Amino acid sequence: MAYTFKGGIHVEEHKNTRNSIIEIITPPKIVSIPMSQHIGAPCTPLVKKGDHVFMGQIIGDVTSGLGCPVHASVSGTVIDIEEKSTPTGARIKNVIIENDMADELSPDIVPFEKKLTDTSFDEIVDIVRKAGISGMGGATFPTYAKLQSARGKVDKIIINCAECEPYITANHRLLLENPASVINGIKILLYALGLKSAWIAVEDNKLNAINKLEEILAGDEMISVKVMKTKYPQGDERQLIYALTGKELPMGKLPADVGCVIFNAETCFSIYSAFAKGMPLIRRIVTVDGDCITNPKNLLVPIGTPYRDLIEFCGGLKKQPKKIVNGGPMMGFAQWDVNAPVTKGTSAILVFSKNAESPYEQPPVCIRCGRCVRGCPMHLMPNYLAMFAMHGKIDMTEEYGVMSCVECGSCSYSCPGHVPIVQYIRVAKGEIKAAAAKKAALAKADAKN
Amino acid sequence: MDTNQNEKEIKEQTVSADGESGIEKTDGKKKIEFPEFLTVTSSPHIKSPDTTRSIMLDVIIGLIPALIWGVYIFGMRALTITLISVASCVLFEFLTQKLLHRPVTILDFSAAVTGILLAMNLSVAVPLWIPIAGAFFAIVVVKQIFGGIGKNVVNPALAARVFLFAWPGEMTRFVNPKTAIDPVSIGIDADIVAQATPLASLKHGELPNVSIFDMLIGNNAGCIGEVSALLLAAGGVYLLVRKVITWHIPVAFIGTVAVLTFVFPQGGANSLDFMLYEIFAGGLMIGAFFMATDYVTSPVTAKGKLIFGVGCGLITVFIRFFGGYYEGVSFSILIMNLLVWYIDKFTRPVKFGGKSNVKKQAEK
Repeated sequence: MAYTFKGGIHVEEHKNTRNSIIEIITPPKIVSIPMSQHIGAPCTPLVKKGDHVFMGQIIGDVTSGLGCPVHASVSGTVIDIEEKSTPTGARIKNVIIENDMADELSPDIVPFEKKLTDTSFDEIVDIVRKAGISGMGGATFPTYAKLQSARGKVDKIIINCAECEPYITANHRLLLENPASVINGIKILLYALGLKSAWIAVEDNKLNAINKLEEILAGDEMISVKVMKTKYPQGDERQLIYALTGKELPMGKLPADVGCVIFNAETCFSIYSAFAKGMPLIRRIVTVDGDCITNPKNLLVPIGTPYRDLIEFCGGLKKQPKKIVNGGPMMGFAQWDVNAPVTKGTSAILVFSKNAESPYEQPPVCIRCGRCVRGCPMHLMPNYLAMFAMHGKIDMTEEYGVMSCVECGSCSYSCPGHVPIVQYIRVAKGEIKAAAAKKAALAKADAKN
Repeated sequence: MDTNQNEKEIKEQTVSADGESGIEKTDGKKKIEFPEFLTVTSSPHIKSPDTTRSIMLDVIIGLIPALIWGVYIFGMRALTITLISVASCVLFEFLTQKLLHRPVTILDFSAAVTGILLAMNLSVAVPLWIPIAGAFFAIVVVKQIFGGIGKNVVNPALAARVFLFAWPGEMTRFVNPKTAIDPVSIGIDADIVAQATPLASLKHGELPNVSIFDMLIGNNAGCIGEVSALLLAAGGVYLLVRKVITWHIPVAFIGTVAVLTFVFPQGGANSLDFMLYEIFAGGLMIGAFFMATDYVTSPVTAKGKLIFGVGCGLITVFIRFFGGYYEGVSFSILIMNLLVWYIDKFTRPVKFGGKSNVKKQAEK
């Protein structure tokens, strides 16, 4: 029996690229590398206009606080440092590098020579940090910080390969084409945290990858494959933990609080690369798909490559596009700039025409069908949340648990009345957060007086 | 100087790269360029193909077998009544929305569903103005005044049926199957009226003089769309298979009626016979599968739906046993409709991660 959770929905999979071998993209002429590709403080650029940079050279780092460095993904000349929008809309400095096509590796890049068993935890954390590795599933939490917070608190590593978002097959292809590196990465993590058990969670729509992993892992007592039922949002860490352990992670708690730590499969791959080759995180696998793309593909892309290059490499457009989405179609961010760069968290670039949203010309209205309630993985009542938010009854949304919402989009997807439920929920959450911040500020001012 | 030259070259390169991308492809097709503006919206960016309209169409498909049977058994007048009912519902919806400056939503087919359900809950012997009056009450008073689709508190078709009991003479005249009846005359001669519907017999403590098989297939007196228990159940199964409705309400509703009528048969009848007649008679099947499951006026939680169904069953049997009127289904659903808000409120699911919090608090 495949592991699963209560609620959730079945989304049309559209895994069109499941058989597309990962191709290396034509080297981009220009890359634009954002100084913040992780949760935490943005990096300060360490290079200036006109500098020559090597591939893999650190070009920005965080001086204090949470964050990890960013590296040049190509060798060449820094032609500008300018402020640009991140995929989520914040303004951030970008280092623009003109590629000299020489692929000159930075002299700092050397394989890690010591035996793993002679390495201390701090050394491992340092390597992971220096390699600029942050969670590659999309949330981009710095991996070194996750290791630090998990140490001594967890007894289980879960590798998230559920890949429950439609269209995306990047993790699936990685498991098929380079399972050994992923497993080696897991072994490094197991050693670092001093644990004896890791689970690789894969949805049962990737049976060939499951078989391959099981073949390699035959006789391995530490790492095992867990087959998950194909259901959205199986890859949400709360649902993953619940499906595998039966533990419900309360709101505001981290997986470490229930003894688990979760890593993305490609993150493990990057950790292994950092040890085996000394290679920092400067490339990632991106699924390029959507009904406008002529030849959907999986691409290995240098960080900072503009979306336009990816789309051109896939044969360009075959339909008039309406949206470009960075990430999956359920939780990804719609983009307004086709020249925006791929970042460490970009698992997919999807280009959709107007047909992707099942056009329906009737005004949005809730008919109380209850699909959102059945589908909500957090067991909320999205129809009521949307209704309260619509009428400005923010206190009622809070009472009905709006802050527990993970914005997975199951409700909006399944709504036959086409009510933008998640959007209403985001409005309510925003107002609650703003009110809380205001209250805190007032309390602070009172304390001063 | 060198760096300046470099920059110029770079600029030229980028320009030429951009210029190239505008050129036609070699295969002669005009290359599609990115539009000047892309749409930026909140996620998710894909939608399920189901819409209100597709759901309403499924409900119509589910109703059609029983409706065709009604026309077959009661004649073309049944079709006339249905058409009048549907046309007036859609027209009233259109007119009210125009008058109130609301977007016109007749194409979501919800008014058409109301029209079909209203007609199916009428006797074939009603005067032809009855469906028009019913449509007015259903659409204008019950639905639009409360805010239109999704906002009505009670089921429009059922409320209209109950409203029409203001004319009890017209509303309680039923005819036997295969009675010749004028398809288009406004009124009906009183002499063709059946003596008693199965429900009336049951009310008087005796089993109807129709076989259970005839009750099942719908060869008995009653409303146009309620007689064929079999075809209504088939339509209900279609809705279940299409995942338009869930099993909770029909099972709880019919189950409650079945248990109560089996345990407390009236008039000294055999338990099983009495139960089967009670289940197949009157509006129970259409009520349980098509009216009580109306999204707008039923709870959204699974637990709530069970409570709702059981409540409908209890009130139905109570009215059938002790009430002044033969039929209890319409009233029971309407009464439960009024409780939906409270049922939803009290069956709110425990949010994910909430249980462990409760436990922790208890431990403290």
